[in-house]
Amino acid sequence: MNIVEKIMALYPSLTQQDFLTVITLQNNSDGKGDYIAKWEHPTLPKPTEQQLAEIK
Amino acid sequence: MSSVVISGDTSGSISLTVPSVAGTNTATLPSATGTVMVSGNMPAFSYHSIANQNPTSAVVTKVIFGQQDFDTANSVSSSRFTPQVAGYYQMTASVAMAADTSLTGSDIYFFKNGTNLSSIPAFNVTGLATSGYYTQTVTALIYMNGSTDYLEVYATATGTGTLRYFFSSTANHPTVFQGVLVRSA
Repeated sequence: MNIVEKIMALYPSLTQQDFLTVITLQNNSDGKGDYIAKWEHPTLPKPTEQQLAEIK
Repeated sequence: MSSVVISGDTSGSISLTVPSVAGTNTATLPSATGTVMVSGNMPAFSYHSIANQNPTSAVVTKVIFGQQDFDTANSVSSSRFTPQVAGYYQMTASVAMAADTSLTGSDIYFFKNGTNLSSIPAFNVTGLATSGYYTQTVTALIYMNGSTDYLEVYATATGTGTLRYFFSSTANHPTVFQGVLVRSA
């Protein structure tokens, strides 16, 4: 399960538009993988690393 | 061939050389203060991708350009352009992308110093519905300080199925990163 699927599993109300505006997921192609670079959602809190890790 | 040699105060020199061919030519220096630009201090580069990348859908991912076509000032390393001459650079990048099932969105950005600046053009496309290849291109005139500023290309492919930033082994490389100094600072 990738980072988008994990976030969507945690917050099913999110839309593709949210990922174009208030949420930015990034990968610097440096081997460290995908991460949340920006989270400015007006109501939903940024998921913690632990929350994302627990979603299988 | 005749030359005028101007020596520096402590070391070095500059030679102004007239070619030994017939005819009279005139080179006029402008009535302005600045650095004279010659081929030796006008960086130009072109790189292209030599391997597919598989980004995660909707994740802004740095694009890797593994093959140099030319790089006159050795100003690109690890797909990062860090010019050592300050000035205004005309930059171009294109990324061909695809999704095995359906590509629904496509973005391309220049990241300056690790950030997507609103002052630099970027292109975002939504509403796609294709399983074929889609190429995003962006061009921008960007100031670089000639020491610490660096520029990278990022892109986003949004869709379902395996996603790819595509390379081609033919001469028509679809995923490229190019730039040239057009005016010194």
